Amino acid sequence: MHELTAANRLLEAALEAASERNAGRIDRLTVELGTATHLTADQLRFCLDAITEGTAAAEATVEFDRVEPAGACECGWSGPTEPIDGVVPDAPSLRCPDCGRRLSLRAGRECRLSAIEIPERTETEQ
Amino acid sequence: MRHAPKRGVDATLRNAVEPILSAVRAHRFGHGEGGSAPSDGEAEADVLAAVEREAAAVHKRLARDGGVFAAEFLGATGSGKTALVEALLDRRPDGERAAVIAGDVAGDDDATRYRSHGVPVVDVTTGTDCHLDPARVGRAIDELDLGGLDRLFVENVGNMVCPADFPLGASLRVVVVSVTEGDDVVRKHPLVFQACDLVVINKTDIAGAVGADVARMREDARAIAPETPVVATSAETGAGIDRLRRLLDRGPESHGDGYDHDHDHGSGANRADERRR
Repeated sequence: MHELTAANRLLEAALEAASERNAGRIDRLTVELGTATHLTADQLRFCLDAITEGTAAAEATVEFDRVEPAGACECGWSGPTEPIDGVVPDAPSLRCPDCGRRLSLRAGRECRLSAIEIPERTETEQ
Repeated sequence: MRHAPKRGVDATLRNAVEPILSAVRAHRFGHGEGGSAPSDGEAEADVLAAVEREAAAVHKRLARDGGVFAAEFLGATGSGKTALVEALLDRRPDGERAAVIAGDVAGDDDATRYRSHGVPVVDVTTGTDCHLDPARVGRAIDELDLGGLDRLFVENVGNMVCPADFPLGASLRVVVVSVTEGDDVVRKHPLVFQACDLVVINKTDIAGAVGADVARMREDARAIAPETPVVATSAETGAGIDRLRRLLDRGPESHGDGYDHDHDHGSGANRADERRR
């Protein structure tokens, strides 16, 4: 259900942008997906396949760009996070490698429609 | 249209993309950096950022407009969320006016338990969804008289995965795990611990009986969510409940990536604290 909620919102953003450009068809959706979320690309794709039926995005290719986590610290450090040593390799360490304080995530929490491709403008639109 | 890419970036992208894709045009969505709202009329392109913004709106209604300090309790079914909130209700200071939003997939068992403590309760059943969301909480608080409340407990649907991505607008997110879930439960769900402001390890009175090492659970929580307070409790014996209550009174200390930190700086929660004093 979690992915379906996200997929619905992605589709809504894509259809709205296409409609504002008078595009009757969306050829491609590109989604930036952070790895520090519980959303997975496979399940999102599955949901998008289901809900795009009958919409302008019915034939669209869906592409995912993985976004690895990156953090920033009050001390001024910023950069990609490391895995948590010996505990969980697949979650970002939120401890600043410089000063040990807690980092704020600056990337890795995205589930973001980054681009759509729509057919070339017709003459009348130009 | 006022898309962010129109301000310079778009032209660069178009130059890069259009020679290759002569039959299509590409539209790239702008980044809503710093939690800024999307342009007029444009649907939010980042799904999770949109949820955070909705949660921030609920937070504003509760903390700033209503002066209510809300704490969300999330964790697996059977971790003891309801028993802990009941213990907190029983120990609330004289004159503190509390209410509960009880979230479940189905049924009114928790709501019935809460009502027996003499507080207003809004029962929210999600039907199929695995988590509450800000819209549901917003509708639930419509049914409460916020002006007559000091504190609101929001119990999320029993689940350690999905709620992590869906803040609800509470001043504080509390994740509850119990020793019966195994002492490796923390490292199995790192993101939910990183999304919360306070960790409760519950049912410590039976840790020995189920062979759980509470110290290991604490260490895991500290490694995964630095600076997040951890409190060991037993809703059964009452151990740790007063400390939990004090931690709730203090409000959020640190937010690694919560909406309070990035978008709100916890000011709503602080103001709620001031009102109570």
